[in-house]
Amino acid sequence: MGGQLLEMRNISKQFPGVQALKDVSIDLGAGEVLGMVGENGAGKSTLIKILAGDYSMDVGEILINGQRAVFRSPSDASEQGIRVLYQELVTLDTLTVAENLFVGHLPTRRASGLVDWKSANESAKAVLRQMNIDLDPRTIVGDLTVHQKQVLEIAKAVHKKATILVMDEPTAALGEEDTQSLFGIIRNLKEQGVGIIYISHRLKEVFEITDRVTVLRDGQKIGTVRTEQANMAQLIDMMVGRELAEFYPKREVPVGETLIEVRDLTIKGIIEKVSFNLHRGEIVGLFGLLGSGRINVLRALYGLDSYDGGTIEVKSKPVSIAGPDGALDNGIGYMPIDRKLEGLALGMPVSTNITMANIDRIGGGFFFNHKLERQKAEKWVHDVSIRTPDIGTEVNSLSGGNQQKIVLARLLETGSKIFLMNEPTRGIDVGSKVDIYQMMENLCEAGAGIIMISSELPEMLSMADRIIVIAKGRITGEFSRQEATQEKLLHATTL
Amino acid sequence: MADALQLDPGKSEKKRKALSTTLILFIVLVAMVAVFSVLSRDFYSFLNLSAMLTNISFSGIVAGTLTMVLITGGLDISIGGNIALTSCLVAYLFNLEKPVPGWALVPIALALGAAIGAFNGVFITRLDLNPIITTLGTMAVTRGLGYVLTKSRSILIMENVTGFIGRTVVPGIQIPIPLVLMAITYILLFFLMEKSKFGRKVYCIGANPAAARVSGIRVNGVKFILYLMSGIAASVSGLILTGQTAVGMPQHANGVELDVITAVLLGGTALSGGKGSILGTLAGVLILGVLYNGFTMIGFRYVHIRVFQGILLILIVALYELREKKRY
Repeated sequence: MGGQLLEMRNISKQFPGVQALKDVSIDLGAGEVLGMVGENGAGKSTLIKILAGDYSMDVGEILINGQRAVFRSPSDASEQGIRVLYQELVTLDTLTVAENLFVGHLPTRRASGLVDWKSANESAKAVLRQMNIDLDPRTIVGDLTVHQKQVLEIAKAVHKKATILVMDEPTAALGEEDTQSLFGIIRNLKEQGVGIIYISHRLKEVFEITDRVTVLRDGQKIGTVRTEQANMAQLIDMMVGRELAEFYPKREVPVGETLIEVRDLTIKGIIEKVSFNLHRGEIVGLFGLLGSGRINVLRALYGLDSYDGGTIEVKSKPVSIAGPDGALDNGIGYMPIDRKLEGLALGMPVSTNITMANIDRIGGGFFFNHKLERQKAEKWVHDVSIRTPDIGTEVNSLSGGNQQKIVLARLLETGSKIFLMNEPTRGIDVGSKVDIYQMMENLCEAGAGIIMISSELPEMLSMADRIIVIAKGRITGEFSRQEATQEKLLHATTL
Repeated sequence: MADALQLDPGKSEKKRKALSTTLILFIVLVAMVAVFSVLSRDFYSFLNLSAMLTNISFSGIVAGTLTMVLITGGLDISIGGNIALTSCLVAYLFNLEKPVPGWALVPIALALGAAIGAFNGVFITRLDLNPIITTLGTMAVTRGLGYVLTKSRSILIMENVTGFIGRTVVPGIQIPIPLVLMAITYILLFFLMEKSKFGRKVYCIGANPAAARVSGIRVNGVKFILYLMSGIAASVSGLILTGQTAVGMPQHANGVELDVITAVLLGGTALSGGKGSILGTLAGVLILGVLYNGFTMIGFRYVHIRVFQGILLILIVALYELREKKRY
């Protein structure tokens, strides 16, 4: 490892009412991957935004190759070779791969000043080939998968001579295969001497790809450990500051009567004759790859998408679900995959978000009972342990874990018995995950049933009582918790 | 009694801010009234203020319903055409060889407004068309039909029911009927938006339509009702204007969209949806009314005020935009 590529020394940053960072120091060598972990709100994002020149720091200094650097804007940071790949990628979706790669400096013909497309596409191809990336420069970026877009962003950063690359939850939307492909690219970058800061909630990956790990908690650095000398339990302890007796608090709940019976559910061209059921006290996992149709099953059951054939019986009575309001009337609740897109009214207070699916039941007749709403919101903030200054706080100022708990609280407030959960713990911190698992188990004990989609295999294997595998719109396997293994599930997705 | 001292926790930061925006607007309003009273002796007289309020009532009513449409992230610019067509139809029907009786004109006008609103609502919700384009089309259709119906002429209508609506005052207290109608509209809309379940749904849809739908709110149904209400409000305004002028003509309420949208945005409603209040719009309507009247009283001409109003609209949007940026 060469000299210190990057040093951030004694960084402090205060926001109104919050000490976001307190005396945090990190360092990064050339060719090194530094993992950065911590619960939401631990200060990771703030630290990265300071490094990227988005925020100014109150105290501290940044050294690049031993030289003091001052970032007044993101362009200052980018001139020093710093690139951040945010979770939400900012590709130009209507343009081609080559245009994205060379945005701002497309090669032009000297005579006319017009873009020289031939040379642009050829040099794009060369740049991509150099990094072992298989992308056609003429593809429209909007048609790429999330992983391909990510790879393109990395290529762009490297092309622009980035020496310090920050990846914020790069695998959040990736499957196993794409994750491995990304790791291949990261190893390639290491060899070229790029220093990488790798932020992730997925500790397994952190162990796989990083050289050292820095743990942040409540705006402070808890410590930096060499990855090879660390273990999972130790990291979790450092992150949450308390012992986590068991990560997955699975309880044995006796299975009761059938809650929902789905027969031959068909959406033309997407899912075909999908049949399964769910009982009281049970968590059924729907497992499949991206595009397998498992999400369409959930959306159809909730009335978000229409279906072409099949029957749905709730508690042995046939129902036809025309929309989410109809689903809720039948005791079916839904937790969307993306809390920001379909889950929350971000600019609205906690209380409004908690009662949003229940407006008609808060107060009798025409009027909305604000007092009743407050009582309900206070109750759920307490019961689901949502950390918020008060119920009037806008949800966009809360951490991901707390936002997810608000979505859950709304679901619970509907009094549903059948819960459809699409990635219930996506992108949230360890502590909140455990809270949500606990809540799921409580629901099962109270006689509810849960249909869950999760792309995190350990979560699926640990939490689901039964796992149904869907591939190309058909059910290709069903396993009990005892039978299921990672290999069996993955094999079933290929059938 | 710590509980009693605590700030109402159910009131969100947002609500508190919206309230304070409204408060600022009302302070501005009072200040403007004071300034114009000093600049012009005729401004602060019962006769002038009463005339001013009567003049703003027809645009004020549609501003109220438009506020709700804007909060859901929609827009309705067909209101001016709707008002004009209503006045044309009413005057036309009354001037037939066998005139439609006065008492029937009101339900006919309201039905027309409802039909136009329903038309907008169906196309915007069922076909998911852009509200600006849809209502722009409806604006052209309605105003065009007004020209067709009246053969591009003004039709005189000396009739008692519309006359009552537009030209009479409440006996004893001398308050004009249009003003009473506007007051009733604002009271109803205030309760609808701030106190009812329906109002809560409107705000939720504006904040995030996808989340509202997942929460079981019938987004399209609510939006349809709002366009319907906007249409009906426009026909009420059409009746008022017909009564005030005793004329049905296709040029009525020309450019009223500018007045109404300016007032709603001035009142703190965001074009992007989710934010806004009926009280804010009321303040916006009153401020614009005072500006118009005050500038006229101190000698500005209508055309100049119009230029000023256009600039004001852009300034308001810029101001709220800057304020929003500053928050983050």
